[in-house]
Amino acid sequence: MEANTAAGHEADDQLEPEAQLVEQCLRGNGAAWEELVRLHTRRIFNLCYRFTSHRQEAEDLSQEVFLRVYRTLGSYRSTYGAFGTWVTSVTRNLLIDHYRRTRRDRLTDSMEDVMAKVEDKESSTRRPDHSAAVAELGGHLQKALAKLSPDLREAVILRDLEGLDYNEIQRVLEVPEGTVKSRINRGRIELARILDQMGVRPN
Amino acid sequence: MNWDCEQIEERLSDYLDGALPPKEAAGYKAHADGCARCTQLVASVRGLVGALRAMEPVAPPLRLVPTILDKTIGPRTEPFGWRAWFGWTRILWQPRFAFGALTILITGAVLSQALGIEWRTPTVADLNPVHIYRAADQGIHRIYARGAKFFGDLRVVYEIESRLNPAPDQEPDQQKPAPAPPSGPGRTEGPTSGPNNLNRAETSTKYVTRFACIVLTAPGRRMP
Repeated sequence: MEANTAAGHEADDQLEPEAQLVEQCLRGNGAAWEELVRLHTRRIFNLCYRFTSHRQEAEDLSQEVFLRVYRTLGSYRSTYGAFGTWVTSVTRNLLIDHYRRTRRDRLTDSMEDVMAKVEDKESSTRRPDHSAAVAELGGHLQKALAKLSPDLREAVILRDLEGLDYNEIQRVLEVPEGTVKSRINRGRIELARILDQMGVRPN
Repeated sequence: MNWDCEQIEERLSDYLDGALPPKEAAGYKAHADGCARCTQLVASVRGLVGALRAMEPVAPPLRLVPTILDKTIGPRTEPFGWRAWFGWTRILWQPRFAFGALTILITGAVLSQALGIEWRTPTVADLNPVHIYRAADQGIHRIYARGAKFFGDLRVVYEIESRLNPAPDQEPDQQKPAPAPPSGPGRTEGPTSGPNNLNRAETSTKYVTRFACIVLTAPGRRMP
């Protein structure tokens, strides 16, 4: 997850060109918008996928995120922070809305099975040199994430998968720094316990 | 500061992220190393964080970006992705192109057969102009010979048939049928031989008989 980790550190460097792209978008430049979409689609899709554990839902949600970003682009100010953080914040709000909306009809077990198969398949096809054990671990991690409460899940995803720093997470989640830290810590410990119960020991 | 297990759990992320002051970190480590439960906890969470950070990003579906762009700035005229490379093949799916391709194939097959190219066991010699010329020459002569033969046969049938059924208004001694011309290429031009007044009293029955004779005799006399 080097790219994601780096994304957090390079946020300041990226702020300027992305803010310019936003300006161009607001002036009606379609190419600038396309550039922004291409820059963030992968990250947003991953964020949605890690949270929902479901490819189709992640795809639909990603589309929804960019629709909302497109409509509310005028409300973005570079003083808010990096454009990426703002998009992440929009994504997070949509994810939570989606979670609340689908809480009742969610069938966690069947969802996990489908997701685990997808995960295994993807990992093994993308990295044929990687051992099957690594692909399997990825599937287990995703399963464990799905079992985590949404508050802790989003904190862990933003920190350890997206590589955001505490400040950015604080801005995205709109909670005090202490809460962010506490959620990340509890989320990690809980996740480790879930994995332990699953008999999985990542080392 | 004396650390207890609860504190170890509370500050675990700070410890792993290196956010603890050195002095506190030393105390933390001292407790964590000495307590079996905490040692296990620290090890498992450290392993977990490492595994999470090593997780590969999932590739989004290829259609995602185009779909987003379609839904926001509307459908675009410019092709992208694989469509940019293979988009032109769409015109080939029109029926006229398929029909044209089929015609070309059939023509090619007929031509190649006429030129004596054996597609099942193709050899470089097949493409030799000399070979193609010879094959074409041979093919043309064969077709010509067949035509000549057919015409010759036609005349033979005419003559036989007119002898068997002479015209009623003609004297038998007036009939001087020419001998059947030897069949072969170049020997059949012009109505130089044979009576030219034999078909005066033909009836439709005779036409049918004649045609049947031609059809029956022609295939059996093909050139080798």
